[in-house]
Amino acid sequence: MIGPTPAQITEELRRFQARLAEGARTLHGLGPIETGVLSRDPVYQEDKLILYRYQPRVAEPHPVPLLIVYALVNRPYMMDLQEDRSLIRGLLDAGLDVYLIDWGYPDAGDRHLSLADYILRYIGHCVDHLRERHQQEAINLLGVCQGGALSLCFAALHSGKIRNLVTMVTPVDFHTPDNVLTHLIRHVDVDLLVDTLGNLPGQLLNFTFLSLSPFRLAGQKYVDLVDILDDAQALKNFLRMEKWIFDSPDQAGEAFRQFAKDFFQQNKLVKGEVVIGGQRVDLRDVTMPVLNVYASQDHLVPPAASKALAGCCGSRDYAELSFKGGHIGIYVSGRAQREVPPAIAAWLLAR
Amino acid sequence: MAEQTDSPDPSGFDIELLLKQARTYLAFGEQLQPLSERFHETLGQDGDWGEALRQHFDQLKAALAEAADDPGGHADLARLWTVTLDTWRQTAASLGVPATLAPLAGVNAKAWQAYQSVQGQYLDLLRQAARDALDLMEQRLGERAAAGATVESLRELYNLWVECNEETYGRMLRGPDYGALNGRLLNALLGCHACGDTPA
Repeated sequence: MIGPTPAQITEELRRFQARLAEGARTLHGLGPIETGVLSRDPVYQEDKLILYRYQPRVAEPHPVPLLIVYALVNRPYMMDLQEDRSLIRGLLDAGLDVYLIDWGYPDAGDRHLSLADYILRYIGHCVDHLRERHQQEAINLLGVCQGGALSLCFAALHSGKIRNLVTMVTPVDFHTPDNVLTHLIRHVDVDLLVDTLGNLPGQLLNFTFLSLSPFRLAGQKYVDLVDILDDAQALKNFLRMEKWIFDSPDQAGEAFRQFAKDFFQQNKLVKGEVVIGGQRVDLRDVTMPVLNVYASQDHLVPPAASKALAGCCGSRDYAELSFKGGHIGIYVSGRAQREVPPAIAAWLLAR
Repeated sequence: MAEQTDSPDPSGFDIELLLKQARTYLAFGEQLQPLSERFHETLGQDGDWGEALRQHFDQLKAALAEAADDPGGHADLARLWTVTLDTWRQTAASLGVPATLAPLAGVNAKAWQAYQSVQGQYLDLLRQAARDALDLMEQRLGERAAAGATVESLRELYNLWVECNEETYGRMLRGPDYGALNGRLLNALLGCHACGDTPA
């Protein structure tokens, strides 16, 4: 039954318009939207890559540093989005010494960067820098989403340099039936794409992600926004997330070509057929302790895609942490702040 | 260390995203108002609500189809059907292939026609999902009425419309046709790009 009368609907529309008009003024007065709240210092730089060290929040942080390898897609400030939504803060509070790779924004000059550059050169140099800086034989590595797949490749090829590996919402088996991204990319002519455009434009990635749920992400979200237009704090939180969503770096062409073809289209990681810099990646060489963190409601990296790691990595100390939430909620939800960083830190500190 | 404008395009919030969807919501409200009117009339006259519901949704489908078919028509209403295609067109435009009806200068006419043809098929698929969503919404409203449940506001109707669209669109997205068509759409766009001298 339809409760509201035509007059009530008219009144509802009038109130909506009034809130919109009033809210537009609030929106204009907000000022710049800041992301990334914790103090950090650049400690190593190579090309566009900057390795940051976050200021420890305990007097004597754990001697083995933790290096976070974020995905090449989107920006890593998701890990430290705002004061009360910062996975990195949780790790620091638990006594860890946290470093993060910021990949920067690839431009036309980077189109020939390959996965070997990203994995062996960039990640490799950061790992070596931290091993030397902390006088440690091996460091802890935390890979996020695509960064987790890159971290798995590095850990397989240089297992002696990694003490413990944490993978977060990381795809391993790209051909689980519920993997929508693979479903979409399967028919794309990746060679034509890269040969034509050079780098993969971030806007194309944005479209792909929005097209997974367009009525919510490109429609309803903005209608709901009108409800919070008079709340500056809620509005800032919304805009911070909005900024992150649309802050999509282009993807270096050659690296994208290999990732799209070998990982998404041909599922070579789980088959042990990925070759990086002439070396075959065999996940059975991932022999260090592994904590595999996945989100049970992840629509981008389905849990099954992550959990496949259990069956193919060589670690005898393999554990999983299931978070009840989605691909983004695992970083920014209130529950994630309470559950995820403490669990990761406890697991690391025990090893 | 706060991160503010380290992106090459420190994209502030595009208020047009908000305004477009707000206008679409208002257009949705205008379309749903007669349904409310008919419902309350039927209620007063002890009429056939199921039949009234069916008639209204038939009219709604016709209005949306007309709006989507007419480029000079009711754009805000059309967006209820074409949100995905709009996003695609913006993406294509950012790659140097705007949504013009005539081939771009310097672009191979055959590649352009191939792209237009695939885009047409893509729109057809989206429209089918949108039509299915309206059928589903009609069904859900009928079920609610049968259960004696009341929709309390226009926003609740809008949320139901979103839910139904996500359901039918999601089914289509995961089906074999969409994946293949999505790939062909991008490949055809790249064909235009590769054959011409459009800027990246």
